[in-house]
Amino acid sequence: MTTPTQPKPAAPPAVSAPAAPGFWVESWRRFRRRKLALTAFCFVALLALTALFSPAIVGTKPVVCKYKGKLYFPAMSYFNPRWENEIFFRDGFRMRYAQNLKDKDPQSWAVWPLVYQDPYRRVREGEWPGHPGNGSYAAPNRHNLFGTTHPGVDVFAQMVHGTRIALLVGFVATGIAALIGITVGALAGYLGGKVDMLLSRVIEMVMCIPALVLILALLAVLDTPTIWHLMAVLGLTGWTGIARLTRGEFLKLRQTEYVTAARALGAGGVRIMLRHILPNSLAPVLVPISFGIAAAILIESGLSFLGFGAPPPNPSWGTLLNAGRSNLQMWWLIVFPGLAVFLTVLAYNLIGEGIQEATDPKLRQGRK
Amino acid sequence: MTDRRSLDQSTRAVRRRFPGRWGLAGVALLALTLAAPGCRPKDSTPQDAAPAPAVAAKSEFVLGDLIQPFSPPTLAELEAKVQWKAQPVRDAIELLRQRQAGEKPALTPAEALQSRNDSPEANARILSALRRLPADTNAVDWDAAIVRHTGADVRSINPLLMSSTVEFDVAGLIGFGLFSFDWDFNLFAASDTVVSWHSSADGLYDKVVMRDDLVWSDGKPITAHDVVFSFKVIMSSQVPVPAQRSGTEKLKWVEAYDDRTLVFFHKEPLATNPWNLSFSVIPRHIYADSIAADPTLQNSAHHVKHEREPVTGGPYEVRQRTVGREIVLQRRATWMSPRGQPVREPPYFREVRFRVIPESSVALLALKAGDLDEKILSPEEWKTKTDGPDFYRNNTKAFGLEWVYFYFAWNNDTEFFSDRRVRQAMSYAFDHEEMLKVLLYGLYEPCNGIFHPTARWAPREPPPPYRQNLDRAEALLAEAGWVDTDGDGIRDKLIDGRRRRFEFSILVVNMAERVAICNLLRQNLAELGILCHVRPLEFTVFQEKTLKKKFHAFLGGWGTGAYPDTNENIWKTGAPRNYISYSNAEVDALFEEALRSLDETRREEIFRRIHLLLYEDQPYTWLYFRNSFYAFNQRLRGYNFSPRGPYNYSPGFGSIWKPVLQP
Repeated sequence: MTTPTQPKPAAPPAVSAPAAPGFWVESWRRFRRRKLALTAFCFVALLALTALFSPAIVGTKPVVCKYKGKLYFPAMSYFNPRWENEIFFRDGFRMRYAQNLKDKDPQSWAVWPLVYQDPYRRVREGEWPGHPGNGSYAAPNRHNLFGTTHPGVDVFAQMVHGTRIALLVGFVATGIAALIGITVGALAGYLGGKVDMLLSRVIEMVMCIPALVLILALLAVLDTPTIWHLMAVLGLTGWTGIARLTRGEFLKLRQTEYVTAARALGAGGVRIMLRHILPNSLAPVLVPISFGIAAAILIESGLSFLGFGAPPPNPSWGTLLNAGRSNLQMWWLIVFPGLAVFLTVLAYNLIGEGIQEATDPKLRQGRK
Repeated sequence: MTDRRSLDQSTRAVRRRFPGRWGLAGVALLALTLAAPGCRPKDSTPQDAAPAPAVAAKSEFVLGDLIQPFSPPTLAELEAKVQWKAQPVRDAIELLRQRQAGEKPALTPAEALQSRNDSPEANARILSALRRLPADTNAVDWDAAIVRHTGADVRSINPLLMSSTVEFDVAGLIGFGLFSFDWDFNLFAASDTVVSWHSSADGLYDKVVMRDDLVWSDGKPITAHDVVFSFKVIMSSQVPVPAQRSGTEKLKWVEAYDDRTLVFFHKEPLATNPWNLSFSVIPRHIYADSIAADPTLQNSAHHVKHEREPVTGGPYEVRQRTVGREIVLQRRATWMSPRGQPVREPPYFREVRFRVIPESSVALLALKAGDLDEKILSPEEWKTKTDGPDFYRNNTKAFGLEWVYFYFAWNNDTEFFSDRRVRQAMSYAFDHEEMLKVLLYGLYEPCNGIFHPTARWAPREPPPPYRQNLDRAEALLAEAGWVDTDGDGIRDKLIDGRRRRFEFSILVVNMAERVAICNLLRQNLAELGILCHVRPLEFTVFQEKTLKKKFHAFLGGWGTGAYPDTNENIWKTGAPRNYISYSNAEVDALFEEALRSLDETRREEIFRRIHLLLYEDQPYTWLYFRNSFYAFNQRLRGYNFSPRGPYNYSPGFGSIWKPVLQP
């Protein structure tokens, strides 16, 4: 925020007035007062933690292990399969750590995830002491908290590891959208004239592109489509709303006195845009971003539900819903992922609403 | 989804049909790779369709322009030089009756309907009781109607234009035909329509004498000229015949010497020649004058009228057709007694109704309510939705083995799979048992190659199906040079000075159970240090990629042809369906020899050898044979499963009947 620096009073005052809280501090304070929005925010934070620590919550690879005198973190390979330590391949572990660690190095020790289950494959009998192995379509039980799918893969494991995709899709897709949207909107709004004309037409053109059709076409063309392509498409097509809003804000703010003052002081265009106008126009833009995250998660789930989302074997909530579609009596395939999608989308929408009400002075009236 | 509908898509592969007594669809080779959920036959594109009507209208229509000019000898000349040998003329129901004569049913029908079909033994017991033909004609409810389920409507009811399974089913009942084959793929002429059939000793001619008591449903006689006319129509480039030209193309000429005597002239003396004699027959007096104006047979007012109310030559005629809802066929009086006197046995049902219900779960509900008499079941429906009393109250279920196998195809043209050892390693790496027991509910049997062990052409001592053996797989990979040299946990190999990682993708039609099989492969290979990406594709994209050979590997399936030579299309070097670019000179030579050998025992030996050679080469990793699962109403009897399911052979559907209701 551009708060003009207070000139130091010459005489020491008897009582110094407390510095006025900044806009963001004020907004955060107001946001905090909204119980629902705050709960939603905590929920998303919890999801983020789950995503970050998913391999430590549920998995079949040790979080830390000491093997032949060295420390390894095999669970990290859930983030990227290439991070699988090569020594375990050389020693013929074949991705089964529990027994092999003991057999091949009796001195070894390991810290295991909280739940021994795998999001990609069925845990077999005898793999883990006291584990009877997953059944096909098993109802929720002690070993499979949320039941299993037809191939016998644990639903809980898939959901925990699926949070990564759900959050990533939301953040990355909307991040790309926000970056493009704010840049284009800022340029169009600040420069105005012909540039505005041109960029506004570009925005309208992009609005005409149906993201779903583009994704389906892309999947057909690409040799190995990944979840990142999907996020990119969602981001590259979903920035128009943000751009329009930013453009409007910039159109409005460039007329204000402090911008004129900055210009009079000789500030360049880029500096005015980034330093002076942008921070003041961000608040309304945050709202569509928050809603955009929710929309991206829904689209990914929808695509996975249709079978064209996260490429297998990536665990995704939508994929689970898809598996449950034809088997309504396997309620655990519908209820748990359905709830997860519902709550997450709801949370983002509540956060969006909270930001809107916390930052919009018109909505602020009446309630502090 | 049900697999019948998956066959619906297989129009490209459909070669020809053999209308038998009740008319049966003889599909030479069914491409199951085509299956997609909820697929409809209308999506299929005919392979050899004629040019679009707009184009056709410009150039002049020439009947039979694909036939090379030929002037046939007179019958007297022919008789003088040809030595005839008699070929079988049979009644399919009679054949089945002979086969069942020695069988002892394990249960009475009432006991069979009481018991649950929960094991192969129970299935055998139930079938032994319910597959019987009626003991005498008094046992049959001759007034009965049957309601059959179809997932999709017919596009056309004209037998010439058929391409999807339901079109074959309908055409089988209303179409006229001379030939048929039984559950063992023995070809014969149908005694309902043929008096005698002779082949020449040199394999170049076939002579058929038709019965003289055949009439179309409008009362006009069915003659040899109708057959010749139909041959010419099929061989006209402007007529969009989707599925029959590959057979008629092999014929040089068809000549009608009088109203009843037909001679088929072959281009070459091949073992498969008799299979080319059968094609759909349409009434000449209806189409002869109108075809030139509208070669599509579908657009002109005259043709639209006959599409709605066709003149039929089979045992049934069309009573009513509501597009998208149902087709109602009724028994044809002029078939049984063309001149007032009964000359043919009536078919068992007075009425056959095809109800179109696209959604399988809806159809299952209709079946449970008794609104449908039969339905194909998916393995999942068989296992999880048809065990309760709500199902058994009105129905029972049965399965039979079908000669339809599924496989991983390895593109032999890639640096990964050009080496036989790598392909063998793939077969050893895959966890076949997990697939059969868990993913496929333990309902299917493993597959070891192109012929089912019970087929005549399968090796006497069948090679064992592959089982998972990771040590062996690793050894084979190492032998082929695929080891991890750069320490990243992924196998690699130096090829042409470039280090290639063993990383490939496998294409699969986007159906949950098939994707699950590929995921299992991915998991198995990951344990061996091979990266495999599973790519579920929409059906049309999948088809295009396999046709253009743009793949490393894919999961697909093939149905059986009526005769083993159809395999040539898949395995011969450069053959149209040899998507994987497999090439083995010995296999090529053996197919060639089989085609030219007229000695059946020698042919069987050749095909056994081919089976073994393919097993050694493992161009595919053969996975499993698929069964056909059916639900039948409690009142139905006489269903017999063949390697092509319960309907698509002779007598097939024709042997199904309903008993009289006990008072």
